[in-house]
Amino acid sequence: MSVRVARRALWNAVAVVLFLVMVFPVFWMVSTSFKTDDQIYALKPTWFPLHPTLAHFGNAIHKPFFWADVKNSLIIVGFTVAVAMVLAFLAAVALAKYRFTGRKLFILAILGILMLPAAGLIIPLYVVLARFHQVNVLSGVVITYLTFVLPFCIWTLRGFILGIPKDLEEAAMVDGSTRLGAFVKILLPLVAPGLVATSVFAFITCWNEYIWARTLLNDQSRQTITVWLSYFLGSSRNTDWGALMAASTLTAIPVVFFFLLVQRKIAFGLTSGAVRG
Amino acid sequence: MKLRVIGAALLVAALGVVAATASASSGKQQASKVTVWLQVDAQSGWPDVVAAANQQFQSDHPGVNVDVQYQGWGDHLQKFDATIAGNTTPDVIEMGNTEMTKYMAAGAFANIDSFKSSFANSANWLKGLAASGMYGGHLYGVPYYAGSRVVTYRTDLYKKAGIAKLPNSLAQFIADANKLSAKNAKVKGFSPVYSAGTDWYFAMAFVYDFGGSIAKTHAGKWVGTLDSKQAVAGLTAWKAFWKATSKASPTSDEANPAPYNVYSQGAAASIIGPGWYSCCVGNKFKTNTAQFVMPSHTAGKPMPGFLGGSDLAIPAGSSNKALAADWIKDFTSTSAEKALQAKGNIPNATNLLGTSVNERAAARSWFVPAAKHWVDVENGNILRNMLAEILTGKLTVAQAAQSASSNITSVLNES
Amino acid sequence: MIRARRRRSRTWRRFGSASVPYLLLLPVVIVIGGLLGYPIYSLVRLSFQQYGLFELVQHKGRYIGLHNFGSVLHDTVFWHTLFRTIVFTVANVGLTMVGGTLIALLLVRVSMWARIMLTAGLVLVWSMPQVVAVQIWNWMTNYQNGVFSYVLTELRFGDYFHHDWLGTPFSQLGLVTALVVWGALPFVAITVFAALSQVPKDLIEAAEIDGARGVRVFFDVTVPILKPVLLILTSLSILWDFGVFTQPFLLIGQAHLGPSNYLMGVYLYEEGYLKTDFGRGAAISILMLVIVGVMSLVYLRRMVRMGETS
Repeated sequence: MSVRVARRALWNAVAVVLFLVMVFPVFWMVSTSFKTDDQIYALKPTWFPLHPTLAHFGNAIHKPFFWADVKNSLIIVGFTVAVAMVLAFLAAVALAKYRFTGRKLFILAILGILMLPAAGLIIPLYVVLARFHQVNVLSGVVITYLTFVLPFCIWTLRGFILGIPKDLEEAAMVDGSTRLGAFVKILLPLVAPGLVATSVFAFITCWNEYIWARTLLNDQSRQTITVWLSYFLGSSRNTDWGALMAASTLTAIPVVFFFLLVQRKIAFGLTSGAVRG
Repeated sequence: MKLRVIGAALLVAALGVVAATASASSGKQQASKVTVWLQVDAQSGWPDVVAAANQQFQSDHPGVNVDVQYQGWGDHLQKFDATIAGNTTPDVIEMGNTEMTKYMAAGAFANIDSFKSSFANSANWLKGLAASGMYGGHLYGVPYYAGSRVVTYRTDLYKKAGIAKLPNSLAQFIADANKLSAKNAKVKGFSPVYSAGTDWYFAMAFVYDFGGSIAKTHAGKWVGTLDSKQAVAGLTAWKAFWKATSKASPTSDEANPAPYNVYSQGAAASIIGPGWYSCCVGNKFKTNTAQFVMPSHTAGKPMPGFLGGSDLAIPAGSSNKALAADWIKDFTSTSAEKALQAKGNIPNATNLLGTSVNERAAARSWFVPAAKHWVDVENGNILRNMLAEILTGKLTVAQAAQSASSNITSVLNES
Repeated sequence: MIRARRRRSRTWRRFGSASVPYLLLLPVVIVIGGLLGYPIYSLVRLSFQQYGLFELVQHKGRYIGLHNFGSVLHDTVFWHTLFRTIVFTVANVGLTMVGGTLIALLLVRVSMWARIMLTAGLVLVWSMPQVVAVQIWNWMTNYQNGVFSYVLTELRFGDYFHHDWLGTPFSQLGLVTALVVWGALPFVAITVFAALSQVPKDLIEAAEIDGARGVRVFFDVTVPILKPVLLILTSLSILWDFGVFTQPFLLIGQAHLGPSNYLMGVYLYEEGYLKTDFGRGAAISILMLVIVGVMSLVYLRRMVRMGETS
């Protein structure tokens, strides 16, 4: 019994060390945003700013278009993730549970898109979007994000669906029903952890995406928060590191918030046990 | 049941597309809007100048909106390329003066010869700056502002080291630097004169000071000339100067770390760079900071400073060229240029020049070869690699110069 | 010893008519096909054309057949870069998959508080935009006062004062590897952890009752169930790491980039887009696609076939 306790304590210790090492750069970013400029550039690092300053956060928030760009990011990402989850789940069900002509071709196409180097597509894609007046508008970005996030989501969800052992499915389908709707209803709780993990990834990918956003959006009032961030670095003049770190900290908050909301669902399977009844 | 699920999915997708396109505004260029791309330097440095120009323009053209969109140096050209492909170019674009030739040669800009006389002080434009906007004898870019290179230094440290008079020759400067090193030996990694290892803007100044050049045209082709006797002499002088004065990493570039940050850490008594470096030297040393002109190896003369700067051009695809030219006229008016000068820039005309250190340094300047493939030399880091090889001792000055020169010859002559 | 191999015969049940799978896929096909159809066609067409800045302004390219491909394949820089990228990919994918799986296993074994702490930490790392992460790593390893150098010196690993972490290609790419793996671990760890949660406890208990020990249980019970997810993560990692661009480009910086440290993603950008040779860029894109396709062939076959037989 005590061996188990000791072993668990050991694993906990490992987790703490791992946490400290992994999180250090994040910690550095956050602590730098509270340091004065002198502390930031000093030769000897300041670990914990004893007299924290909120000046950088103030500068960051007051930099033009902060709130507008936050709003834009939320709209774009919210839309993309919601639509992507629905479409990807349906497609993943089709790929995992059905045999039909063109199945292999479709899978290859999905993988092909994942393999395309994005740099090669920027200009042709811009031309297409420009023709339909989807440049410099949020919808153009949503469509672009959907296109690149869908293959990944379909692929991952397919894996999760395939990973459900057959007898879980069978046991859960009490009356051997062959109706798709009922099947989906039963399937959903089993894939819930997978759905959540995939949606978190989609959220993070879209929230942090930079290349397409900066190419497609020119109006600063329409840009996303990552493009807004890049303005701290775009100048050939002084980079305000403190403000950049504060701004970065701010942009990370929604993601962390979103994840903490849903993280319980991921661990759901572990504690709930497997076969009911 | 299954139909319901599928139907719902399609409905969501359709709704999504409809809602998204409903929020789309027309991207078509209307005659009542002028789109201007300026760099973020203007947004943070002189927003009032921009606002004044917009106001002037709008009073002259009521009903026409000006949309100024700020870009960053790192990606503005790639974005510009995309807009050229998609026929959504801005009406005015700020270009770095080293970026101009390539785009002029490709026909990306409109010929604005006819508008030249309307631009303020166009007869007196700074030669170096104006040249970057000309191609094949025609005008494509209006000089916007320039900057030269100066020495920003710690008056207190110089005083403590017993430097009574500012150096007026390279040899004197090195002697003064040695005094500074001796006095500050206790400070780890201290540079009497900090400059980056691969700061080619600084190193090439030595080449031009000794009468050399980077490249010249000969019978219609470009020839790299860094292997000439004078250029090699210049590079040798630069190597000696650097080794005696800078503790930077031999492979470092002039943006990482920013020299003014090194200065603010107290690790440098002086730094070489644009005049605006004085903005960011840190609170501790603000009152003990001044500037002087980098001396040449010939006593009494200034070392030629790189005349960096920006031009304003009108993309060929713009449908509002006359309006664009008018906006440029308002933005480069005498009052606008004077305002830029007050912020530490060099104005675009000789009759506006003052006597600030920055402007005195511009009396003797050099510029990059006006070749359409010059940007490829820059992006290929040919000069940077040469300087790093010299400083690390991997190659002798002559060898490094030779190899860089032939590289430059082949890159500049690419079709 | 129980071999917990489940009969995974296909549940090829027909839920309704044969048109159902097509209808399920239709929305996705519309979105992706609608947007990417022309760009992909355009990319292929561009690769056969001379299309530089001049042609871009004219909106018209010049057909030159396979010349772009020939010029790339004859470029020694291309082959060196390819080799370097393959080595880089193997290293990164290996570190990411092994590290991520180990972290996932750790997450299963720790107390609730530790699990939440570590997961939150992973998400914090994951949530950082790449652009920001690069800036912080740049800042931590800078020549003048990088905290990383400071800590190493203080911990007596040597004198790292004024250490140029960007001094050699190996050091540059090593730094990029550390950054890429650090950023990729959270995704792998959390996804594998989610997959682990689908492993039925009773299977593990049954195996343990039969006398199987930890490692055996892992390989006999857990891995088969994790296999689809592991395969997917590995294949995705290969794709991403092979074409990685943002981290090496921003961390090494334009001033230090060159043939000695090019990775394929950076090479494509520099040769195609920085030099505004769009035809060449298209050719390199297609070559990259083919190469990655070949590299993934093994996984591709397995994943397409996955679930058809046990």
